[in-house]
Amino acid sequence: QRIRSQNIVPCTVSQLLAAEQADETFRIRDVEISQVTIVGVIRHAEKAPTNILYKVDDMTAAPMDVRQWVDTDEAGGENVVVPPGTYVKVAGHLRSFQNKKSLVAFKIMPLENMNEFTTHILEIVNAHMILRKNLVSASRMPQSFSSAGIGDVGGYGGGGSLPVNGLTAHQSQVLNLIKNCPVPEGMSLQELKLQLHNMSMSTIKQAVEFLSSEGHIYSTVDDDHYKSTDAE
Amino acid sequence: MGDVHELPRPRVATGHLAQHIGQPVCFVGRVEKIHPTGKLFVLSDGEGKHTTVELSEPLDEEISGVIEVVGRVTNRATIMCMSYVQFREDKSPFDLELYNEALKIIHEFPEYFPFG
Repeated sequence: QRIRSQNIVPCTVSQLLAAEQADETFRIRDVEISQVTIVGVIRHAEKAPTNILYKVDDMTAAPMDVRQWVDTDEAGGENVVVPPGTYVKVAGHLRSFQNKKSLVAFKIMPLENMNEFTTHILEIVNAHMILRKNLVSASRMPQSFSSAGIGDVGGYGGGGSLPVNGLTAHQSQVLNLIKNCPVPEGMSLQELKLQLHNMSMSTIKQAVEFLSSEGHIYSTVDDDHYKSTDAE
Repeated sequence: MGDVHELPRPRVATGHLAQHIGQPVCFVGRVEKIHPTGKLFVLSDGEGKHTTVELSEPLDEEISGVIEVVGRVTNRATIMCMSYVQFREDKSPFDLELYNEALKIIHEFPEYFPFG
C-alpha cells in the first residue's frame, strides 16, 4: 500500500536531498512526497529565455537548484527575477535528473514578514514528526493528513482539565476509588495516593476538597478519611 | 578553507558556539554595536547573549537590526563572517526570542530538522 501525502510538506533542503527515489516518486520516511515548500535565501539567480534558475539556501545543506518556468507569452514583467540576498518561500515539485535533485517551483514568494521563516522551521519539525508518527502507528492505509500540524487529535491525555458530567478526570478517579472502598471508615488520603500513581498529593487534596464541598463525599474519623454520599 | 556555503551550517545561539569551534555555523542576532574599524560587530541572540562577529574586510555599509551571519567559529568562540543577510523588518519586527525557541526545538529534534 502506498502512503501518499496529499498535502504540501514543508521540508529542509537536507531532507529533500535525502529523500529516496523509486521510479518517478520520492519518499521521506516512507511517505510519498511530491509538493514541498522550502524557505531560504536566494544566493544566485540566472535568467534564461524559458526559465529562471535560482539557488536557494536554507543552511541545512548546499543551496538547492530551483527552476521557475517563465511564461514566454507574457509581455515581460510577470516573472521578475528575485534578487540574491532575498528570503523566499518556494512551493514546488521535487525532481531528480542525473542523480541531482532540484525543485520546479510553481510559486516563489519573497518573505515580507521574517517571522514566517521561524514558523516554517517549526512547521517542518511538526510535519516530519507527524510523518513519522503515521508511519509508526502501523496502519498502512493511504492516509491524508494535514501538514499544518493537526494530525491525530488523540485525546487530551490524563490531564484532567476537561470536565465531564461536572467532574474533571482527576475528580472522577478520586470519587470512584472512594465509592468502591468497602472499609467502614472510608478511604484515606494516603491510600488514594498509593492507588493514584500519577497524581500528586496536592492534586488529590484539591479533588477531595471539591468533592466534599459538592457533597459527593464526607469525612469520617478525621480529615484524612472519606466516604461517598452515594449509598453503594 | 573551502566555501562554507556549500556545507551544512547549523543554526546556533551564543551558548552553542563553544561546541562548534572550527565549524561552519549560521547565527541570527540583533546588532548591538559596530567597531569603528568596521571589521568587528557584536550581535545579541534571542536570550540577550552577545556574540562577536569578525570580518576579513571592513563593512562597506551600515548594518542595523537583525542580521543572519554565515561563518566559521574561531577558537575564541567568535564568528569569522563569510557572508551576512539583513532580515527585513520594514513591515513587521522579527521576533528573535521566538526564533531562539525554535532553535531549542531543532536542537532537541535533529532527526526532524537535519543539518547535512
